[in-house]
Amino acid sequence: MTILWQNLRYALRQLRRSPGFAITAVLTLALGVGANTAIFSLLDQALLRSLPVRDPGQLVILQGTGKAWNGRSSTHGGDVETYFSYPMYRDLRDKAKSFDGLIATTPENLALQRRGEPEAVDGEMVSGNYFHVLGLTPAAGRLFTESDDSISGNHQVAVMSYDYWRNSMGADSRVIGETVRLNAQPVTVIGVAPANFQSAVWGQTPAVFVPMAMQAQLDTRQVDRSNIHADRWLNIIGRLHDGLTPETAQAQLAPLWHALRADELAAMGKRSPRFTQSFLNASQLKLQPGARGLSYRREGLQKPLLVVMGMAALVLLIAAVNVASLLLVRASARVREFSLRYALGATAQRVFSQVLLEGLIIGLLGAIVGVAMAPLATHTLAHRMVDDGDTTFFQAGVDTRLLFFSFAVAVLVSMLFSAAPALRLMRPDLVSSLKEQAGTGGSGRLGFRRVVVGLQIGLSVLLLVGAGLFVRTLQNLRTQNVGFNTTHLLTFTIEPQQAGVPRERIPALYQQVLDRLAVLPGVTAVGATTSPELAGSDSGSNVTVEGYTPPTDEDLDISVASVSPGYFDTLKMPIVAGRAFSDTDDLEHPLVAVVNQSFARHYFGSDAAAIGRRMARGGGNKLQWMQIVGVSRDAKHSDLRQPAKMTNLTPLRQNKEAFYIALYLRTANAPMQDANSVRATVRSIDQGLAAEGLKTMEGQIEQTLSNDRLIELLAISFGVLAAILAGVGLYGVLAYSTAQRTREIGIRMALGSSRERISGIVLMDVLRLAGVGLLVAVPCALLLARTLRSQLYGVSPADPVTVICVVGLISIIALIAALIPARRAASVDPNVALRTE
Amino acid sequence: MISLRNLERSYKTGHTENYVLRRVSLDIAEGEFVTVMGPSGAGKSSLLNTLAMLDDGWRGEFFFEDAAVHTMNRKQRAELAKRRIGMVFQSYHLLDDLTVAENIDLPLSYKDISRSERQAMVADTLDRFQIVAKKDLYPSQLSGGQQQLVGIARAVIHKPSLLLADEPTGNLHSAQSAEIMGMFRDLNRQGTTVVQVTHSEANAAYGSRVIELRDGWVTRDAIQPEGANTSMGSMAAR
Repeated sequence: MTILWQNLRYALRQLRRSPGFAITAVLTLALGVGANTAIFSLLDQALLRSLPVRDPGQLVILQGTGKAWNGRSSTHGGDVETYFSYPMYRDLRDKAKSFDGLIATTPENLALQRRGEPEAVDGEMVSGNYFHVLGLTPAAGRLFTESDDSISGNHQVAVMSYDYWRNSMGADSRVIGETVRLNAQPVTVIGVAPANFQSAVWGQTPAVFVPMAMQAQLDTRQVDRSNIHADRWLNIIGRLHDGLTPETAQAQLAPLWHALRADELAAMGKRSPRFTQSFLNASQLKLQPGARGLSYRREGLQKPLLVVMGMAALVLLIAAVNVASLLLVRASARVREFSLRYALGATAQRVFSQVLLEGLIIGLLGAIVGVAMAPLATHTLAHRMVDDGDTTFFQAGVDTRLLFFSFAVAVLVSMLFSAAPALRLMRPDLVSSLKEQAGTGGSGRLGFRRVVVGLQIGLSVLLLVGAGLFVRTLQNLRTQNVGFNTTHLLTFTIEPQQAGVPRERIPALYQQVLDRLAVLPGVTAVGATTSPELAGSDSGSNVTVEGYTPPTDEDLDISVASVSPGYFDTLKMPIVAGRAFSDTDDLEHPLVAVVNQSFARHYFGSDAAAIGRRMARGGGNKLQWMQIVGVSRDAKHSDLRQPAKMTNLTPLRQNKEAFYIALYLRTANAPMQDANSVRATVRSIDQGLAAEGLKTMEGQIEQTLSNDRLIELLAISFGVLAAILAGVGLYGVLAYSTAQRTREIGIRMALGSSRERISGIVLMDVLRLAGVGLLVAVPCALLLARTLRSQLYGVSPADPVTVICVVGLISIIALIAALIPARRAASVDPNVALRTE
Repeated sequence: MISLRNLERSYKTGHTENYVLRRVSLDIAEGEFVTVMGPSGAGKSSLLNTLAMLDDGWRGEFFFEDAAVHTMNRKQRAELAKRRIGMVFQSYHLLDDLTVAENIDLPLSYKDISRSERQAMVADTLDRFQIVAKKDLYPSQLSGGQQQLVGIARAVIHKPSLLLADEPTGNLHSAQSAEIMGMFRDLNRQGTTVVQVTHSEANAAYGSRVIELRDGWVTRDAIQPEGANTSMGSMAAR
C-alpha cells in the first residue's frame, strides 16, 4: 500500500512537472473517450437497453408471416409483419395459452385540450392490460385495468406520461380526476405512468395513453376498427409464462395461428389455391425477443450507429496510440532515470507498475474530461441522426452504465498505451544508459515508435477511406437523376380532417387549394399526390392485370398513389406514351390509370403496349377495373437509394379516401420566396388548415439524407482528426529521430554531404514510414470497406478515386510533417554537432 | 597552401562578444606537418574547424591553394572541402549503423564517382590500412585504435591534400596512439599536408612545426627540430 501511495505521488509529480505533456495526453484521450461515450450512449439506448419494466426478458414481439389480407394496413416503421388486426389480437389474447398476457399498442396523433387552445401531442392507444402485463405501477392515481377497455366507447379515460405530467401539468396531483379533451372528446385523467417509463415501443414518447376502447371516438376517419379482420394496425407484445422460451411458445402457438388464419381465409370467400398456400400454409406466427421493446426506428438507426461506433472506436485507438507515442518519447528521455532505479535495486515489477500507474492516471483524467463532454455530443448527434427532429427519446445524461463503459474503456486504453513505454523501460542497457553515450544509430531505438507511427497512419487510412466512400456516396445520392426535376420545387402536406373539415367536403377543398395556389404569382405549376415523393414512405398494393397470368412465385408489391392532373407537369415527370390525367378524370367518368415504364414493360413488354389495357388493384373476384391511359417515365419514389419501383397512379378525383395529400409547386423564383404567400393562401381557404412541413424538394432530399450526412460528417471529422493525429505523431518521430541523429548529420556534413542530401535522409525516412503504413493499411481498409457496402451508393468499396485521394492526402500530411525536421536537419551546424562530447 | 590573414572568430553571449580566434595570420606550406597546441578554450578546435571549412562565422582572409575562401559562399566552400580536405576526429565519429567498408565509402558516396570505382578505392584503402578482415564489422565491434584507423582511412580515401585531425589519439592508449601517429607521419611523407590539434607533446613531436594558441592569439609558431618526430615516435612505440 505504501509503495502504491509512493508510486501515486511520484506519478502525479511527474505529470505536474510536464504540464504540456499531461494536458496533450489527457485531451487526446478525452476526445477519444468522449466520442465513444457519446456514441455508445445512443447505441445503448437504441440497441442494447431493456425496457424499464418487470422481467423484460419474458417479453416477446409477435410477427405474422405469409401473404397479407388484401385490406388496409398501417406501418409506423419497422417490419410490416408486426402489424395485426384487432380481431386477431383479441383471439390471440383470449385463446393463446403460452402467455401471461398479450398487449396491443398503436401510436395516435391527438389534439389535447386542457385549458385554452388544443395542443397536438403524441398519444399511445393501448389495450387495457398494457400496464399490468408490463408490471408497472403508477406515479400518481391509477393505471388502466381490463375493465377500462372492455366496452367500445364506454370508458373515456386517459393516463398521462410522467414527462408530460411533470413538464406541462406542473406535476400537479390534482390533475387526477380532471377532464381534458382529446380530439374534442371529454376524457378523465385517471393516473400518471411511472417516471422512467416512456412506452413499450422504444423511440415513442407519448404524452398520453388511451384505451383501445376509445379508438372509434378518437379516429379522425371515425371508423371502428375493432371488428375488421382486414385492417392491420396494431403491434402486439406478449409476456411469456415464466421459464418458457420463445421457440417453445412459438411451437405451442402454431396450431392456434393456423386455425385463426383458416377462419380468416374462410371469411374472405373463395380464393385461388396459390393465395391459400401463401396465406395459410406458408404463414407462421413468430415470437421475437422483446426485452428491448418494439421499435419503429431501431432498424433505421442500427447500421448508422454501428458504423459511427466503429469509427469512434478507431479514433479512440488512434488517440491511445498517440498517447503511447508521447509516452515513448518520455520513456526515451527517462531511460537513464529508470536505469538508475534498476542499478539501485528496483525490480522490473516495480518499474512496470510505476509506468502503468502513470498511464492509468492519464487514462482516468481523460475519461473524466471525456465523460463531461459526452452529453453535449450525445445531444448533437441525436439531433442530427433523427430526421424528424424528435429526439426526446434519446437521453443525453450520463448514467451508471455509461460511466462504467467510459471508465472501462479508459482503463483498457491506459493499459494499452502504457504497455509500450513499460516494455521499453523494462530492460534498459544499464552501462550505456548510465554513461549516456551519444551514438549515431537510431533505427533500433526508434523501431517501436516507427511501428506506432505506422499504426497511426494505418488507422487514419481506414477512417479516411471510410470518409472518402461516404463523401462519394452522398455526392452520388445528391447528384443522381431521380426521374423528375427537384429544383424550384416547393412541397408541403395538408390533412383536412385534422382541421375539422368533414369528409364529404375534402375533394372540393383539394380542388380549391390546387386552383388557388396555381394563380399565385411566381408559381408556374401545381400538383398533388397521396404518397409524397422521396419522403421515406410508400403505399403498396398487389394488382391484377387483365390477360396477364402471373408465374406461381410472383408476389409483386406495386407502388400506388392518387395524383392530380398537374402532378406530371409540376414534377416534370414526362409521359412517354398515352396521356396524363385530365380534369375530366373524375368519378363521373370511367376509372383510368397511369403506370410507369417498369410496370408497362413487366406486364406488357413495351410502353406503347400498355395503353388501353385494363388493370385493378388487389385480387379476387370483386375487381374495379381501370384503363391504362398513359405511361410515365420511371422515377424514384420512397427514397434515393431504392431503384424506381413499378408504379400505378390513379386520378385524385377518382379517389374517395384521400384524407391526406402532399402538394408540389413549381416556382419561377427561389422556392422559399413564395413560402409565406403559400401558407397564407392555404390558411385563407380554411382557418384550421395548415401547410405542414413546407420546404423545398431539395430540403426534403436533404432530410431523407440526414443519416448519410451524419455518417459523412462524422467520418470526415474523425478522418481529419485521425490524419492530424497521425501527422503530429509522424512529426514527433521525425523531430525526435532528427535530434537523435544530430551527431550523425554533423559527421555526414563534415565528410562532404550537402544539406539537400541531409534533408533527403529525413524525407526518405518519412516516405518509408508512410509507404509501409499505406502498403499495410490500404488493403485492410479495402477489406473493411466491404462491411460498409450497404451504406454506400453508386461507389464500390474499392473505389480507386477514394484510395488515390487518401494516399495523396496521407503523403501530403507526411511531407508537411517532415518539412520542419528536414529543415532542422539541413541546418545542423557540424561544428556544434561534433562538439557534443 | 593555406594563408590566413587577420582571421577572427567570436561568439556572442548576451551583449558581450567572446573571441575564440584573434587576428590569426599564418601560412602553411604544402607538405608541412603542423601541430596546433594550447590549453582548453585557446581556440584550437575553432581554428581547425575554420580550416576544415565547417565553420562560416569567421572574419578575415583565408586562401586555400590560391583560392580565396573568404569570398566563397557556403556551398562553394563545402564543395572545395569535399574535394581537398580530410578530417579525423577525437571520437572517431564513425556511423554506428554502417560497416567498416561502408564508413570508409561514405565520403566517396557524396562525390560523383561510379559504384565500381568506389568499390575499388575502398578495397585499396582497406588493404593499405590492413583492415580487410574487418571490413564487414560494425564500429562497436572494434577497439578504439581500430576505430580511429578506420576514421583515418575514411579521411584519406579521396586523397585529400590537407588532412586535419582534432585530438586524433585523445581516446586511445599510448601504444595505439603511436600507431596512429605513425600513420599520420607516413601520410605526410607521402605528400599530404597534416594539421593536428593535440595536447600531447609526444604527438607534437611527429610534426615539423608547432603553433601555440592562447585565448585565441597565436603565441608561438616554431619549427620542430628535424628528427624529433622520429625519436619521439620510436619512444612512443617502445
